[in-house]
Amino acid sequence: MLEKRIFKPDRMTWKERWHGILSSEKIDRIPMHHFILGFCAKNVGYPIATMYKDPEKSFQAQLQTLEQYGFDGGPNYGYASFGGWEFGGEIKFPVGDFEQAPSHASFPVRTKEDAQKLVLPNIFKAGSVLNAMAFSKLQEKYGTPISLVIGGNFTIAGNICPVETLCRWTLREPELAHRLLRLATDFSLLLVRYWVDTFGAERVIPNIWEPLSSNDVISPKQFEKVALPYLKEAGEKMLAMGIKHIFYHICGEQNLNLPYWAQLRMGNPGLVSVGNQVDLSSAINYFGDNNIIIGNIEPSLIQNGTPQQVYEECRKAIEKAKYAPRGFMLMSGCELPPMTPPYNVYIMRKAIDDFGWYE
Amino acid sequence: MANEQRTREILNGLQDAVVSMDENAVKELSEMALEEGIDAYYAVSEGLTKAMDRVGELYSNKEYFVPEILLASDALYAGLAILQPHIKIRTGAEKKSLLLGVVEGDVHDIGKNLVKIMFEAAGWDVRDLGVDVKLSIFGEEQAKKKADIVGISALMTTSMLAIPKAIELVKAKDPDVAILVGGAPLNRELASRYGADGYANCAGEVVKEAQAMIERVKNIKKVL
Repeated sequence: MLEKRIFKPDRMTWKERWHGILSSEKIDRIPMHHFILGFCAKNVGYPIATMYKDPEKSFQAQLQTLEQYGFDGGPNYGYASFGGWEFGGEIKFPVGDFEQAPSHASFPVRTKEDAQKLVLPNIFKAGSVLNAMAFSKLQEKYGTPISLVIGGNFTIAGNICPVETLCRWTLREPELAHRLLRLATDFSLLLVRYWVDTFGAERVIPNIWEPLSSNDVISPKQFEKVALPYLKEAGEKMLAMGIKHIFYHICGEQNLNLPYWAQLRMGNPGLVSVGNQVDLSSAINYFGDNNIIIGNIEPSLIQNGTPQQVYEECRKAIEKAKYAPRGFMLMSGCELPPMTPPYNVYIMRKAIDDFGWYE
Repeated sequence: MANEQRTREILNGLQDAVVSMDENAVKELSEMALEEGIDAYYAVSEGLTKAMDRVGELYSNKEYFVPEILLASDALYAGLAILQPHIKIRTGAEKKSLLLGVVEGDVHDIGKNLVKIMFEAAGWDVRDLGVDVKLSIFGEEQAKKKADIVGISALMTTSMLAIPKAIELVKAKDPDVAILVGGAPLNRELASRYGADGYANCAGEVVKEAQAMIERVKNIKKVL
């Protein structure tokens, strides 16, 4: 593992590789995709909060880190608790030694009355939208993919009110749960429309991050009933706007939901990122014919494991998914932990060099 | 005074009502148990607690998920509110206690809340420190409370790094206490590396794991 000290030279730039995989053309090697904001902050010496508060610094920190480690894809802006701040709650930016991303300080909805009174916010000014738009303008300026990170509809609803409340309403007050999901869906679609109007449909890739509808929280039956109809509606409407590719981060333990996720059209191709809880063979089976598969090295292992363990998991992932019909990108199963030993990130790229080339 | 058959009928009814998340039925049956002279402690332990054991099993088997546990626990607490004031103080078996919290930097409390429910259902006395708990607080509170177990959790890969420090601070104040950890990014190997005495990966099995851990820790101390 330590004998070789230089990677084989790339035969494509990352932009050519990214364009190639999205166009279903032959590429030189497996791309190394990223979900890496906090790590970039640590890498260049910023507080993690900078990644969420300062679009310019966030963009540059990511560009530098992506170049340093040989990642593919451009910088991204977003966080999993999206929706709370945007609908009128408060967010706390990460400050302490053990904080990773923005978290809820207060929820806009706590009671039934709050839910009944809730209305759509001004999409041009809501919460993080100003920063997200400033970030996307940098993506446009630098010619990197224009992403818009939004939660899945259930996750946005579970950020508008505490997730325990949403869980109770899902069974006991379904009209309130549906009301929040309706607002979450309308909000997502208005945002995508705003991005499409600003940058053009062909360039925008909506990123739908959906952790809260995992089977760690709700049942597949609840997913089918409460989350799926809104996901379908949102996806179809985005595609009807002219969006070419939607990136779905199907986060956490989602195995029982996979047959439902597979009912979504995600673009041509779509992009499906799964966590380490979902086997890559299952992901290929459910999504591989129409979508690029992305994943799924366990973040905790990348942070706490030895380089040999990380290398071995990357090798297994590459060998399992290298020939997925629409392609495969190696990535951590969720956000790369900010405190990851840098060598463990390097070793992921090394695994691609050793096993990820296409002849 | 209810005869044995009638008592069994009410207790089974209580169990079924909790499992089926029927809060009103639990209230009615709890009142009925008291009216018909069933010992309140017996109604709690044989009705409500056993129901939550079944709920825990259903959760472990992926038949129940978080919404069902929450609604079952609402039914459980409705029953406890009626029955508990009638429990006579008992000598002998002392209530076990748990000090519980989510570490500094982490505000995710759903897993911790499920754990709390399962312990309370099993008759434990739970002191919930909440979320984003400053690490020193775990040790300071344990020094005061002397709980049988300290439970520490984290959901994020960054906040999990606080767990070994929290364990160190608790052990500095109370070297003999058994520490149980949990949370999505953890596993048994990491828990052991962090210095925890036990690890639970599912709220449905957490009480069993805690009881086994207490025995393990006791046996180790005997050997030492």
